[in-house]
Amino acid sequence: MSAPSHRDLSMACAWATAMVAAVAITDSVLLRAILCVPMVFIIVGHTILRAIGIRTTSLAQHVAFAVGASLAAGIAGGLVLNGIDILTPIGWAIWFWIVTIAASLIAVERGENSDLPSWPRPAGIRPWHGVAFAVAVLISTGAYALAVRDESSQQQFKYVELWMLPPTNGGAAHLAVGIRNAEAKTQRFDLEITLDDQPLAVFRSLALAPGDTWTREIPVSIATTAQKARARLYRSDDNRLYRSVSALVPSG
Amino acid sequence: MPLMPAHFAAGAATKPFHAWIQPVFAVIGPDLRGEEVKAQSQTANFGLIAVLSLTVAMALLLIVEGHGAGRRGNEDMALLLFWSGVVLLVVPISFRISWPSVARGERFFLLFLLVEALFYYKAVHSPTSFVGHDEFLHWIAADDLMTARQLFLSNPLLQVGPSYLALEILTTAVADLSGLTIFAAGMLLLAILRGTFVVALFLFYERIAGSARMAAIGCLVYMGCSTFVLFEAMFSYESLGLVLCALIFAIEAASKDLAGQQRLKVVSLIVLLLAALAVTHHLSAAYAAIYLGAVAILEILRRGSSTRSDARFAAFTATVAIVLPLLWMEARGTHITNYLGPVIEEGVKNLLAKLHGIGRQSVAITSSSVPAQPFGMRAITLLAVLLTALGLATGFFRSLALAAPSSERTGWRAIGDILGRRWRDSRIVFLTVLAFGFPLSVAFRLSIGGWEIGNRMGTFAFFGVGLVVAVGIVHYWQHSLPQGWRRIAPALALSIIVLGGVTSSSLDPIKGPYKVGADEQSIEPMGIETALWTKNWLGAGNRFTSDRINRLLLAGYGRQDVRVAVADGVDAGRVFRAEKLDSDEYWALAKGQIDFLLVDLRLSTALPVLGFYFEPWELKSTRPLSATALLKFDRVNGITRIYDNGFIVIYDVRGLHERS
Repeated sequence: MSAPSHRDLSMACAWATAMVAAVAITDSVLLRAILCVPMVFIIVGHTILRAIGIRTTSLAQHVAFAVGASLAAGIAGGLVLNGIDILTPIGWAIWFWIVTIAASLIAVERGENSDLPSWPRPAGIRPWHGVAFAVAVLISTGAYALAVRDESSQQQFKYVELWMLPPTNGGAAHLAVGIRNAEAKTQRFDLEITLDDQPLAVFRSLALAPGDTWTREIPVSIATTAQKARARLYRSDDNRLYRSVSALVPSG
Repeated sequence: MPLMPAHFAAGAATKPFHAWIQPVFAVIGPDLRGEEVKAQSQTANFGLIAVLSLTVAMALLLIVEGHGAGRRGNEDMALLLFWSGVVLLVVPISFRISWPSVARGERFFLLFLLVEALFYYKAVHSPTSFVGHDEFLHWIAADDLMTARQLFLSNPLLQVGPSYLALEILTTAVADLSGLTIFAAGMLLLAILRGTFVVALFLFYERIAGSARMAAIGCLVYMGCSTFVLFEAMFSYESLGLVLCALIFAIEAASKDLAGQQRLKVVSLIVLLLAALAVTHHLSAAYAAIYLGAVAILEILRRGSSTRSDARFAAFTATVAIVLPLLWMEARGTHITNYLGPVIEEGVKNLLAKLHGIGRQSVAITSSSVPAQPFGMRAITLLAVLLTALGLATGFFRSLALAAPSSERTGWRAIGDILGRRWRDSRIVFLTVLAFGFPLSVAFRLSIGGWEIGNRMGTFAFFGVGLVVAVGIVHYWQHSLPQGWRRIAPALALSIIVLGGVTSSSLDPIKGPYKVGADEQSIEPMGIETALWTKNWLGAGNRFTSDRINRLLLAGYGRQDVRVAVADGVDAGRVFRAEKLDSDEYWALAKGQIDFLLVDLRLSTALPVLGFYFEPWELKSTRPLSATALLKFDRVNGITRIYDNGFIVIYDVRGLHERS
């Protein structure tokens, strides 16, 4: 009688170790995703199934059960890591590593053979089948990119933002005033700022291209009573009041 | 003395009655005539798989183009492209899956392809961000979790949310480990969940019905459920909960012929998943408890070959399924009855009112600006419901007969055995009875208040509907070696049922211009930019209130602390809707905790599509909000308008707190 094979468990442990190393030393999203996603969704679950000793009858069944066990392990991990206050990337990596190693050790201890369902060998695949499938993947990916482009170019509303923020408590005594042009064309404005209806500042012919932001900090004197500051934005073309905002300058 | 007319005489009446009833019995009767075609030995047709993959890709391209045309305001072109894409996506692949002589692996792959394509269909509606109302709630919770590195943080927009964080835990685990964004990690998780669900459902049906053909047809029928295409594919806790449910059902069914140690091992996996489910989603945990509880009761009631160990295992798993969610609720102090109770109460009240013909909600429906669905969409939905009902009618007794002991599976004797508590599989008996939930869920969906119950009920009832309709199709409509119309009609009917799942999943599935109070259709770049402005210029964590949509944007993109109420007992809607600020509302603002109000003047341009601007329980509007009411804060001392973009205005009410 041959010794039980644990090649799958050895590979799972190696994968888990590589994942911990990747999380610890690299910021590469691609590399980390390649190592972490299979770990989180299937590898850890596979080792749990082996540790429990569940025998599955088909590859689909094994994969589905392994995904289920992986989900449960991940959820348990969140609760445990929260309890010990290390809900961080490295905390997660260590959790999945510990579960994989522990489950693998239990499975080895049990001494059962892996007895995994065999991968069904497809018969009758021709090269054009693969080409057609690759083309289908390309079309779908391209269509998604098209959807992203369509979404980013959708801008139903054209507008100009005007804002005025009061001095912050304990901060410098100034008003923050800003304009942002989200119209399709360059806009010209005149801006008047008053404090308790007394002129405080005026800015003429401000030209803002689409997407441009203009901001200023206007110093104000703090009085014994609260004062009301107001900013009025006029369109240079017709000198019509376009926007108006206000802020309360607190008393000293 | 002829006291009664001749046609009432017994002898005369029996013949027409028999003549009428026998065909009906032949249709609904329990005869099982569709023995499994020997598909296991067949090889998959890879040529057809390749062609169907290309068809699906072209269909998805058409759907994307349809959305693109909708975004550009070209409604006619959008309708043509989008619905052509949907038909091309669903019909050919459904035909092949339901065809009688197809290899198991081929059905399996095509089901997987279809379910992932339907997820793609959902994803391209908004390809770079979450836009569903519930998706926002969970996205915000996941973002909070990533920021604070702590679970159980309060979520004012979803009171029970902090107790059911499994979805957020898994998403942030993937995001933390891989470095992906929460959106990307969430979409990846959802894609895996969708695939896992259909695999689990297929294995479940296959195990209890003993047929890959019936399992595949059952899965197709499940896709006809109105919640399958969008609701269960959202970034929301039920999407994970339902997958855990399906896995538990599949694992439990897989264990039915096991004994001793092997069965104990499988039970331990079920317990692990039940524990995960208890902290994932309350309603899905209830589905699992109901299913396992009912199977346990039926196992205990079962006569004949039932062993004590079968009943013991069933009773144990049922007990765990019931106790674990209750323990979790107790540990977290979550009172789910407060959360679900009013929804159920309102739904039942509305259904009863509907049955009594009061129809008080119909006024609200006609008065709101709900977009009229195209006739074709409504026709498909209705046809799908009728075909499902027909499938249930022809499958109900046959499904029960399938559960009868093998030697008694012909004629009405099988039903007699079931009534005598002799059956071979309690799961089939329960699922057959569960299918009765379908007409009830349709009835609930007819009223606004009951819609939510009907929707949730349908999700669970379709586990039974899938099986019963599949049995009806295989054993009555198709038979074992169908020829002529028996090959085409059932496949066509199944395509229509799946199409019905798409048409009933959303009022307005094509991306179009902004609409008032329409959840996904109300989310557009200007609202998002305004929310981002609050984060950049005011900082995160300010106390804001606004309408339903802008609250989501403020909490999600703006990272603000949004509130539904201005003060205890004073909802934001009341303050915004009032023509002028009365003393009650004034003092609520002055003494309350809100620092900023965000007013969206677009609300004054139309009635809300979903029937409400602020909260579902608000009084239904018969005309749009007035701009004067929304801008009344301009005239209040102590309130300042700090931001204005012509459509959206932000008021700073902190001056009121100082005055008060």
